[in-house]
Amino acid sequence: MRFIRYFLPTLVILLVSAGTIHAQPSGELVIALPNDPTAMYIGNASDVTAISATRPLYDGLVRYGADGSIQPGLAQSWEISEDGRTYTFHLREGVKFHNGEDFNAHAVSTIWEYGMTPTNQWLSYYDSVASADDIVVVDDYTVEVTTSEPDAFFLSEVANGWFALPPAYLAEVGLEAFEAAPVGTGPFMLENWAPGYRIELRAFPEYWNPEQPKVERLTFRIISDATTRMAAIQTGEVDIVTRLNTDDVVLLETNPDVNIVTYPNDRVYYVAFKNVGNGAGTALENKLVRQAMNLAVDREGIVAALFSGHGQTISGFVIPSNLGYDPSLQPYAHDPQQAMELLTEAGYPDGFEIGMGCPTDAYTNINEVCLSVQRDLGNIGIDVDLEFKSTNAYWSEAHYAATGPMYVDSWSSPNGEAFWRLEGSLTPDYYYSTWTDPAIVDSLGQIAVAVDRDSRAALYGELSHYLYDNPPYIYLYVLNLFEATTNRVTGYQPLPNETFYTNDVGVDG
Amino acid sequence: MLVLVFFTVRLTGDPVGLMVARNATPEQREAFRVAHGFDRPLAEQFVGYLGDALRGDLGRSLRLHLPNMELIMQRLPATMELALAALLLSLAIAVPLGIISGVFPGSPLDLLARLIGLAGQTIPSFWLAMILILVFAVNLRLFPTFGRDSLQHLVLPAVALSVASMGQMVRLLRSAVLEITREDYIRTARAKGVSEIVITLRHVTPNALIPLVSVVGVNFTYMLGGSVYIETIFAWPGLGTLLNDAFNDSDFPLVQAITIFIAAFAISLNLLTDIAYDLIDPRARQR
Repeated sequence: MRFIRYFLPTLVILLVSAGTIHAQPSGELVIALPNDPTAMYIGNASDVTAISATRPLYDGLVRYGADGSIQPGLAQSWEISEDGRTYTFHLREGVKFHNGEDFNAHAVSTIWEYGMTPTNQWLSYYDSVASADDIVVVDDYTVEVTTSEPDAFFLSEVANGWFALPPAYLAEVGLEAFEAAPVGTGPFMLENWAPGYRIELRAFPEYWNPEQPKVERLTFRIISDATTRMAAIQTGEVDIVTRLNTDDVVLLETNPDVNIVTYPNDRVYYVAFKNVGNGAGTALENKLVRQAMNLAVDREGIVAALFSGHGQTISGFVIPSNLGYDPSLQPYAHDPQQAMELLTEAGYPDGFEIGMGCPTDAYTNINEVCLSVQRDLGNIGIDVDLEFKSTNAYWSEAHYAATGPMYVDSWSSPNGEAFWRLEGSLTPDYYYSTWTDPAIVDSLGQIAVAVDRDSRAALYGELSHYLYDNPPYIYLYVLNLFEATTNRVTGYQPLPNETFYTNDVGVDG
Repeated sequence: MLVLVFFTVRLTGDPVGLMVARNATPEQREAFRVAHGFDRPLAEQFVGYLGDALRGDLGRSLRLHLPNMELIMQRLPATMELALAALLLSLAIAVPLGIISGVFPGSPLDLLARLIGLAGQTIPSFWLAMILILVFAVNLRLFPTFGRDSLQHLVLPAVALSVASMGQMVRLLRSAVLEITREDYIRTARAKGVSEIVITLRHVTPNALIPLVSVVGVNFTYMLGGSVYIETIFAWPGLGTLLNDAFNDSDFPLVQAITIFIAAFAISLNLLTDIAYDLIDPRARQR
């Protein structure tokens, strides 16, 4: 009787409380990565794989929403001063680092001080950190960050690179040891890291958001061979595989245990023209020639034949998912007749010869795309001399100077705005930039300081029209991306910039 | 070797373009170059590298920010495990099969041996690896697809890596046995009335195994260095995948360190093979 008297109420209380408390993280989620992350310290994470793999360990002050908008992170709210230069961040209280340290304003100033150290300047996120001019700790949970001039993208830079670092731990162990055993405030803690093989994370029990994470263990497996990744998702040895090509999708679609996740990628593919270096003084400087080339290429045909229709042709660098996209601009039609008329008008009735670089195997079917462009331009009398080059050599400074004067390339943009690819490819400061036009530089300068989102959208629209009439590129296409998950995965949604958050991803059973 | 490795890896690309963010300013690029010595003339870089290598210092990885030797030592056990397993598997099948097929030429077993010999030398190991994954991992679910978590994980990569060596050993043993069985001393033994089993075990086998010693040494080196494909396909965390990643990321110091390490290992192994050969075969000592 005594047993029943004590045991029953205890049981009832336990059952009731189980229904009211938050669900504990459970199960193991295994994600296959196509390459080894460059680092587990997010400041050195320089590719999309590394960013996705390190992100679970850290929290930023703000983060991207699925539409590219800026959402609160460790900063619950913020205000921007009237002159657009000072941001006051109000930090979340009660947040702990994995080692028990408290997160506060001092941890935010550490990011900036650490990032600005000259010897760290090749850090991937140096730009993000250096975009702030000064930082003032107002109180334990308020910081004021000042930029030297109004910066339209300051909050994006904060989302990209301002991840909380534990000041005491970093000071105690130094950067080298920190890189081997990183500590953040993120939903997962690093448990074991075998570089090139596997990364094992465990749910952080004191994470500030009681609803996250959903899984107890998160494991990344590095499988560089695409065939093996395909096999591993079919056997259920991994739960998520990224970067599938369309052939893989056809194979997996028939598998009842696997779900295909499709999303449009914010990466434009294009053929660049040069008007500097070996492009100076060539036919490419004539706007009519560049328009003719845009008319000559059958981009619809390329998307249909080489990507089974899983992509969209584009009218410029500002694509439909970007801020300021103007739907009235339709991709150049495939019209070889008009192209030849334009060439004649430009003074090249018999066409001309020109060199074009192609990054061998750098992207899906890119070699075939290069050959298609060569064929289409050949049809209007432009004789393209194709130069294939392996990817490591292709993106070197020396090669950018020597290739072309036309070359095939692609560029992504991280947060729903085309600014980064426009700036990177059209501002003379960067060696990737091989087209110089003062009107474009001026327009980009205006966008860069337009803190107001609507005025920025209007500026993008104007620039898009200019770039449509004065194309520095043959605009080609954007592609849909495919990933696959096993049926037990819930809540997985990759972002258009090819990275993902794991906070809300769970597994059934 | 040092010269070849140093200059060929530099032909493959510029690490700055890969290590530094794409929007980095020229100053940031320069800071990276200076910090890693890429701003110095090639000849000067080479002398520095040579000096370090001779002192046993193989440098630090650009990408992983760790000493290369530490990375190599982390990965070496996995590669050794795979290479040893593949070698043992080759020997376990090739030795009995090669001898039997030599002793009974034209028999069904001989046919099998010749088939393995031919297949081993003609089927590309990376293709075989994919077929093994499709059949035994995806369709039959008998073995895991990738990784190195248990003994089971060793089976498919070891089979894929062993087949080439197995084929070569079978052919070598078969021809050695065929040759030896025509020797005078075998005929003498037969004339003395020694049984065929005793002849095979006491006279033919030990002599046929002698040329195998040098092949074992060479094949083991090949497995250590040549397992890049197999390790990559099976995501086996050895030197091969490390080399593959380092190469893809233009991590020059690491590529150099691994190739030099494997070369030094191969030279030592060849020396050991030669010494073993002398110990086993008295004729080699007399020459």
